[in-house]
Amino acid sequence: MPVAASAIYFLNLRGDVLINRLYRDDVGGNMVDAFRIHIMQTKELGTCPVRQIGGCSFLYMRISNVYIVIVVSGNANVACAFKFVVEAVALFKSYFGGAFDEDAIRNNFVLIYELLDEIMDFGYPQNLSPEILKLYITQEGVRSPFSSKPSDKPVPNATLQVTGAVGWRREGLMYKKNEVFLDIVESVNLLMSSKGSVLRCDVTGKILMKCFLSGMPDLKLGLNDKIGLEKESQIKSRPIKSGKTIELDDVTFHQCVNLTRFNSEKTVSFVPPDGEFELMKYRITEGVNLPFRVLPTIKELGRTRMEVNVKVKSVFGAKMFALGVVVKVPVPKQTAKTSFQVTSGRAKYNASIDCLVWKLCIYTRIRKFPGQTESTMSAEVELISTMVEKKSWTRPPIQMEFQVPMFTASGLRVRFLKVWEKSGYNTVEWVRYITKAGSYEIRC
Amino acid sequence: MTEGFALAGEAPCAYIAYTVTGSAERRSCCGTLLIVTVGFFRFPETSSFLLPVARRQRGDHPNRGRGRRFDAESRAGIRGSEAVFLGSGAVERIRRGVRVPAAAMALSGMRGLSVFISDVRNCQNKEQERLRVDKELGKIRTRFKNEKGLSPYEKKKYVWKMLYIYMLGYDVDFGHTETVSLISAPKYPEKQVGYIVTSSLLNENHDFLRIVINTVRNDIIGRNETFQCLALTMVGNIGGKEFSESLAPDVQKLLISSSCRPLVRKKAALCLLRLYRKNPDVVNSDGWSDRMSQLLDERDLGVLTAVMSLFVALVSNNIDAYWNCLPKCVKVLERLAKNQDIPQEYTYYGIPSPWLQVKTMRALQYFPTIEDPNIRRALFEVLQRILMGTDVVKNVNKNNAAHAVLFEALALVMHLDAEKEMMSQCVALLGKFIAVREPNIRYLGLENMTRMLLVSDVQDIIKRHQAQIITSLKDPDISIRRRALDLLYGMCDITNAKDIVDELLQINLRSSQIAIISLQYLNTAEFAMREELALKAAILAEKFAPDLSWYVDVILQLIDKAGDFVSDDIWYRVVQFVTNNEDLQPYAAAKAREYLEKPALHETMIKVSAYLLGEYSHLLARRPGCSPREIFTIISEKLPTITTSTLAILLSTFAKILMHNHPSDPELQEQIWSIFRKYESYIDVEIQQRAVEYFALCRKGEALVDVLAEMPKFPERQSALLKKAEDAEVDTAEQSAIKIRNQQQTSNALVVTDQRPANGSVPVSQLALVRMPSENMEANSSHDQATSEVQVNSQDRELSHENGSINAVIPQDVQSADLLGDLLGPLAIEGPPAPPVPAEHKDHSLLSALEGTPEAAGPLALAIVDEPNSVQPIGNVAERFNALCLKDSGVLYEDPHIQIGIKAEWRSHHGRLVLFLGNKNISPLVSVRAVILPPTHLKMELSLVPETIPPRAQVQCPLEVVNLRASRDLAVLDFSYKFGIAMVNVKLRLPSVLNKFLQPISISAEEFFSQWKSLSGPPLKLQEVLRDVKPLPLSEMANLFTGLRMAVIPGIDTNPNNLIVCATFHSESSKAMLCLIRVETDPTDRTQLRITLASGDPTLTFELKECIKEHLIRIPVQAPTPVTPPLQPQSPVTPAYNDPGAMLAGLL
Repeated sequence: MPVAASAIYFLNLRGDVLINRLYRDDVGGNMVDAFRIHIMQTKELGTCPVRQIGGCSFLYMRISNVYIVIVVSGNANVACAFKFVVEAVALFKSYFGGAFDEDAIRNNFVLIYELLDEIMDFGYPQNLSPEILKLYITQEGVRSPFSSKPSDKPVPNATLQVTGAVGWRREGLMYKKNEVFLDIVESVNLLMSSKGSVLRCDVTGKILMKCFLSGMPDLKLGLNDKIGLEKESQIKSRPIKSGKTIELDDVTFHQCVNLTRFNSEKTVSFVPPDGEFELMKYRITEGVNLPFRVLPTIKELGRTRMEVNVKVKSVFGAKMFALGVVVKVPVPKQTAKTSFQVTSGRAKYNASIDCLVWKLCIYTRIRKFPGQTESTMSAEVELISTMVEKKSWTRPPIQMEFQVPMFTASGLRVRFLKVWEKSGYNTVEWVRYITKAGSYEIRC
Repeated sequence: MTEGFALAGEAPCAYIAYTVTGSAERRSCCGTLLIVTVGFFRFPETSSFLLPVARRQRGDHPNRGRGRRFDAESRAGIRGSEAVFLGSGAVERIRRGVRVPAAAMALSGMRGLSVFISDVRNCQNKEQERLRVDKELGKIRTRFKNEKGLSPYEKKKYVWKMLYIYMLGYDVDFGHTETVSLISAPKYPEKQVGYIVTSSLLNENHDFLRIVINTVRNDIIGRNETFQCLALTMVGNIGGKEFSESLAPDVQKLLISSSCRPLVRKKAALCLLRLYRKNPDVVNSDGWSDRMSQLLDERDLGVLTAVMSLFVALVSNNIDAYWNCLPKCVKVLERLAKNQDIPQEYTYYGIPSPWLQVKTMRALQYFPTIEDPNIRRALFEVLQRILMGTDVVKNVNKNNAAHAVLFEALALVMHLDAEKEMMSQCVALLGKFIAVREPNIRYLGLENMTRMLLVSDVQDIIKRHQAQIITSLKDPDISIRRRALDLLYGMCDITNAKDIVDELLQINLRSSQIAIISLQYLNTAEFAMREELALKAAILAEKFAPDLSWYVDVILQLIDKAGDFVSDDIWYRVVQFVTNNEDLQPYAAAKAREYLEKPALHETMIKVSAYLLGEYSHLLARRPGCSPREIFTIISEKLPTITTSTLAILLSTFAKILMHNHPSDPELQEQIWSIFRKYESYIDVEIQQRAVEYFALCRKGEALVDVLAEMPKFPERQSALLKKAEDAEVDTAEQSAIKIRNQQQTSNALVVTDQRPANGSVPVSQLALVRMPSENMEANSSHDQATSEVQVNSQDRELSHENGSINAVIPQDVQSADLLGDLLGPLAIEGPPAPPVPAEHKDHSLLSALEGTPEAAGPLALAIVDEPNSVQPIGNVAERFNALCLKDSGVLYEDPHIQIGIKAEWRSHHGRLVLFLGNKNISPLVSVRAVILPPTHLKMELSLVPETIPPRAQVQCPLEVVNLRASRDLAVLDFSYKFGIAMVNVKLRLPSVLNKFLQPISISAEEFFSQWKSLSGPPLKLQEVLRDVKPLPLSEMANLFTGLRMAVIPGIDTNPNNLIVCATFHSESSKAMLCLIRVETDPTDRTQLRITLASGDPTLTFELKECIKEHLIRIPVQAPTPVTPPLQPQSPVTPAYNDPGAMLAGLL
């Protein structure tokens, strides 16, 4: 089992310790001073999340206005440590009602100490699932044993929950209406050269689910991924139906997914936790459908003038539409004056980020950017002359933001989602797709 | 309104800080405000006690010691409140909380500005602030770019914003046109912002400033006083060379005009100071000496303060012209300190204008002495008054001011070498300071006392305060402890040659006390100081040991108590001491034996004990508990706990015990053998080898006694500890009494002097670098002998590198010739000592080497050719010269008193060298004389060299050189000076060598070949095969040629091992002469190459060839030893001919 932490500290932005918990005594209690002196004060924060000072490694992460610092002295598993922090923050958020910041920590420090004791033991991460922990670590008052009123709820069986086969789901859930929501959310990362060739392109996707199902249902999800389809055709001994099959890389599943069945049948079958969860994550590097094409031309006319022309083309289906399309064209720091001509939307110069920001979905009536259309912006930029010799302008890439509902850049589709339960109730399944821009960058 | 303008003009700096930021809290704490603004405007100088104030107000300063050093620097070098903005009146007003009328701040109307500032202030974090600032900068850019132009109001507003953003630390690199254009605006508010922002955004080297010179000049010669003030202020802050050329006359006119208001004149004085600093030519000393003395009659104190700043600068450059001002200065002091004849607003906490007092006294310190008895008396009266009138009071500000004055007065007293009574008064005063609780004051007291120590006759007065100083040693503040230690250390010294004997006893007593106090103190002292303390205690013990056993006691105690902080040098020194003093040996061994009894022993203690017992335990054999076996047992008990370096010493000890084991004890022998056997397979090679060799030696029986005989005595030399202390001293205090003294008197540390062998032949290798204090007194011949021996030794070393056969003869000797190492270098890591080479034989071989190479000794001897200077140069003069042949600036010569630097510019056949003569001492160097002995081919003209070089000052002497023709003869600088009573004379080669008149030129292949062919055969083209070349990789050889100002042209020669080098040679007779060189190297043997040179002039070709050869070939060494037959260098040139230095030495 990997060691994740010798100590964990919660610091505010000034470096004051809000809460700390030492799990092992191989690090000194004052190590956090080293962090404050060597990392926070040297402004190296944000350059590298892992630092080694004086035989100790500091793994840190900033969440709103709190630094969470993990100190380890040995050879610890860094990925595990960061995962632990992320999960812990999710846990705290679910306890504090969504907010995690300095105030929340100050207001709940007793609870946090209680949780920190529970979620890690001698540096080894323990159960971090909020549903389970909430059964035992409650924020309610403790009932006095002499109270006359007998408790109406049975005392939960801790061992069963923690060690049991289905630790993530309580028994005896009951819903009037049995519903399942399934979202496929993909974000497209792209780096394109100025000549239009793709330098880097991948899609990271996740499948989010929300289950409101009674009892102990067993779900089975079928996607149009390559392995699943091939296996199916083997079993059913019939050729694969024509149509696109997707190769998924780096698939990770929620712990509820039955991996033995996935290995043998290549289908995703699981008993879902109650409520929201992330069923799986995947990555796709090949056969990505890019939703937008950007064609920039930037001309520098002399020392003080620039001409920027950007054409954006939507290449998804004409029936679909995009929302929140924003194009950011970087310009030099000494930009003084800009004038624009746009075919749709509105553009302006934002001096704080040194970009021309072109919002395409503003003036269209329904604020949508339909598929198979194009739009252009041409801008004239005037620069002010500076005293220093003209700094070489590195031309950072153009960035783009968008959301395209009901479109998946990977082409992934849900083929089926089946629900079995002993009682055999009917369920309603909802499926939704959305594609967002990750870092969608075009060099110019 | 005018008053408002005037004030604003007077303190615009302060004005920005709190009007732009509009903050009430800044207004309330003026101290911070001053510092903020001063820092912001990058002021080089400020009032002498503004800095301490700043430091003290920042109470959380992490390193107090550093603060103090800064403070000391500011006192030593830069003093005087020349803050143009902060004309003293304004400073005082601000400090007393009198507010500059806010009505003057025409900002009230600029709403956009205040909105922006409050936005920035409301930002939660840095990122937000940056976003807001970037947004604002974008807006300003847009507005500046607007075609319609800006109204003056808008322009003013945006420029203020730019300044505010700049103050926040962001880059503002545009908008300078707008700013500068505001300067020529007709109205005050615009002009003001123009001037202020220009002086903060631009620096003196900015091209943009050229545009404004005219406007500024118009303002200065104009009638409007406020405009004059603004302009003067700006020039005073950022005026550069061009300003000084075009504005100086006008500024001077303002300064001396009687119609100007004092306000303008004082700005003019400070402005002129700036211009003078940028270009000293603007003030003509002849004309100005009278004017200056008139100006010093000024009644207005503000003007006088400013003028005094100017005067200090003028005097520091040229004392002679301003002798007539001396009485005026004294008069000013009299007026201030005695008559107190000054307006109320110029007193600061009851002290009459401390700024002016400090500056006046500083100016007075530039004059060497004061001859006129009347003036002298008057001055001493004033000083007396200052010394008497100063006391420590509660108020920090008053203290600061009073002390600034006081310490300057002390410095002046020391400078003037006042009579003893006054000195003792000073010391008494400082004694009071030392007793004060306030650490800063105590620190200053201690520091100044250390400085007072330099004045010789106050020593005994200072000694009265010894008890108090020793208490300071226990102060919680480390910097105070350091000072106290320095002072104590400096105090313990022999000062009066007259009654050395009396003194010795007394001082011994005292120093031993101190050493012991230090020892006691060591236990509680802080980590950082322990090492220093240990070292100093060791030195003191060494210097003033009443008897030798006491010294051994102290050092052993020191090692025992503070083993971690005792460097190896200290215990080496003990061993050396004991080895050289036979009486001491049994005592030391017995002591070591005692220490070994202790349960927990420091490793250094084990080392020193083991060594001593190994050498001398046989002397104790009859004492109880000291039989060889017992000693062996007690030492071998330590074996498991020690490191390898100690283990090595222990093995030697065992071998020695075995050797002394005379009535053979088989059991002991067996035990020792078993230890050797055990370590024969030890992982560390050093230990392994020792074990194997000792084991083998042990079996040889009698031979063992020869090999492991007692160590011979050590040659006498300067204590390495003192050397170390000197090194350490450099960064501690700027003036440490110790350092200077150590330079003046050689260590009288070791009582036993070097005993020369009876036959007069000294083992050469041991003599080298040995300091022999008596040597200086002897006749010239003996000195020459010594130096030549030193040379022989370096020859000897050279030999050992090249010639294996010699190594075989005197291997041990060569090893110990590595002299710069530790004292006991060969001892601590000795292998089995080789059988001693008979001295005669060794001597013979080396003497023959000496005889064989009289010329070869030449270049080394040239460093300092003639009379024995008591001053040794620092570093190798010949090496420095060689380095300077390849580069244009560097140090030519350095000794403890002076450093001669050189900076050269070469343009065709002209050269301009500047000699920088820097006095490193705190007393002036007198009778400075520099004469150039030019060779026939150079025309050289040295400007006048001043007779005296003031303390810690640097004098520049330009030297013009014109090259007439090609020759390798060298110019020599005959330089002499007098320090104290010692006359020092050195002859230095000047690097105006042939290659300096070369200029790299790159030519095409066709051109090269056509030239190459046209210059055929000797004497125009010469070829030579060089052997014994320094083995250089090709790239480095190319670098060498580049350093010789020749261009290496790749691609012409197809063979990659060859170099083609081109240059043009410039002389007055033959303007530019093309020189072509081809170097063919042999990749298999880097030590030989063939060089071919061609040029249009036969002499040039020849001279150039020889010049290049000098750089390529290492100095050839002959090795006429009995072992190898005389191996005359194959290179056709004789060494004498080869080295111009040698040639020159012959000439001289």
